[in-house]
Amino acid sequence: MTENILTVRGLDKRFGGIHVTQAIDFDLRKGEQSAIIGPNGAGKSTFFNLLTGYHRPDRGKILFDGVDITSWPPHRIVKAGISRAFQVSNIFGRMTVHENVRAAVHAHAGVTFRLFAPAARFGGDEVAEALDRCGLAGQADTVAGDLSQGDKKKLELAIALAGRPRLLFLDEPTAGMSIQETEDTMQLVDRLNRELEISVLFTEHDMGVVFNHAQRISLLHRGSFLVAGTPDEIRQNELVKRVYLGEGI
Amino acid sequence: MSRFALPSGHNVARPRLSYLASPMQGTVIAAALGAAIALPFFVGEFWVHVANEILILGLFAMSFNLIYGYMGQISFGHAAFFGVGAYTTAIIIRAPLAETGQIGWGIFLAAILAAPIVSALVAAIVGWFCVRLTGIYFAILTLSFGELLYYIVFQWYSFTGGDDGIQGLRPPAVLMATEGYYYFSLILVAVAAMVVWTITRSPFGYVLRAMRDNQRRAAFLGINVRVHQWANFVIAGAFAGFAGALWGPFGRSVAPGLLGWQKSGEAVFAALIGGANYLLGPMLGAGVFTFLHAFVTKYTEYWPLTIGVVILLLVLFLPGGILSLVPKAWWTRRGASADVPERTKEPVPKS
Repeated sequence: MTENILTVRGLDKRFGGIHVTQAIDFDLRKGEQSAIIGPNGAGKSTFFNLLTGYHRPDRGKILFDGVDITSWPPHRIVKAGISRAFQVSNIFGRMTVHENVRAAVHAHAGVTFRLFAPAARFGGDEVAEALDRCGLAGQADTVAGDLSQGDKKKLELAIALAGRPRLLFLDEPTAGMSIQETEDTMQLVDRLNRELEISVLFTEHDMGVVFNHAQRISLLHRGSFLVAGTPDEIRQNELVKRVYLGEGI
Repeated sequence: MSRFALPSGHNVARPRLSYLASPMQGTVIAAALGAAIALPFFVGEFWVHVANEILILGLFAMSFNLIYGYMGQISFGHAAFFGVGAYTTAIIIRAPLAETGQIGWGIFLAAILAAPIVSALVAAIVGWFCVRLTGIYFAILTLSFGELLYYIVFQWYSFTGGDDGIQGLRPPAVLMATEGYYYFSLILVAVAAMVVWTITRSPFGYVLRAMRDNQRRAAFLGINVRVHQWANFVIAGAFAGFAGALWGPFGRSVAPGLLGWQKSGEAVFAALIGGANYLLGPMLGAGVFTFLHAFVTKYTEYWPLTIGVVILLLVLFLPGGILSLVPKAWWTRRGASADVPERTKEPVPKS
């Protein structure tokens, strides 16, 4: 049996009277690229927020590569090797693209308390590599807030990669992108998964993206996982059709 | 080009030389320094005195701007650290002065250097609480701590002289002359400003900007936001204390008002007037503020009204401060910017 990079057991979260995450169990195998689908409000973003420490779970356990990271603060979880790209691009709007990624590289390298050395001295190669990979090399000096929506999402990805993660969460990585950009980005994600052996968990509304790029798909509905399986299994599943896909897929 | 990459219009990342200030910035700074050095040869004693005030207030405002312009939080109690620094120096030199009426260079310099240390310690305690909050809550808490420290100094007669303050703070003989103290301040403020500049372009400086732009996202880079904010609060407190240290012997006295909210307001004004998005914006703002004060009070008693109108016009018509009038391209004509990192027009940093 392959090892899990992520093991979730009995994860539970309520916001007031709303039970957004209901005793979820979830496994992600090392090296796997997996997708979570589900209608709006199913709890996908909350699930990511719980996994990355933005919300504290009421109950349950999260193991990352065998280490219990439940209720760790976000910065500690990131340091442990988990990166996250956000659904709504969430960048440093007044800094340049280069500076955005460089801050992430610096955080990963642990040089953020270097007070008396120029920032430019650290991590130039890593920044260039991340920008190159994400197709932003020509935009290095653009102020991030001025980027197009698609480029902001690319920057999201570049920032997430700069932390050299072993596990990458992507919350709708291609939202706001053109068809071409979407295809390019997902091919990049595939290569990150295959060649850098980064385990990937992503959410996505575009079913074409999901079925072509996920090895495993889980359906989240009203705070719990209803079904999980390979793309073929999911495509055939009656419950999935009824709850989410509708007829005709 | 890495083995795999998204297609891009350009395929080579342009190397950035941001550790070099652009020639423009260098020229402007050199010219300003030259003018500052030459000033006493061209103007009378009164204006040298005013310039000295500008230097000290400017350093104080620059220290405030580490919190405001760079970290994106607004402090209404920053004068507490300025005042603590001023009182530290005053209390150290008070005893030898009372005995002999003179102060030696050794103890005088030690008293100046002790100020930032004591201010940093006080800022460490105050900041430990304040960085748990952001925005208006951060602002109110800094205001509360500032007023708390103000009242301690105001009431503690046996130690601080209470509302009488401490008088007769004479610097060593050479510094008794207006020009002497001016050059002394100029050297120390220039060195301190260079240290601030170094910090703002360090990895730490860019973490500050990241936390300003998007605190939540900064945490998801693996940055411990509170610890970095706390460290910056302490650093800003130390520089405010250093500025305060220069103030007492300059004016020959200290009073509780140095810790008060009005003094904190001067730093806010200076940053707003000059431009909080620029390293030297607060220094320029301090210049305009102090010059206006010296000028206006010669003719009218309506100083608060005057500065109120100035701030009002500025916030309405020039929210980026005076330096925002300079086109950004001009600063960065060659090379990338180092100490002019912000290039958008948002007037107030978002938290």
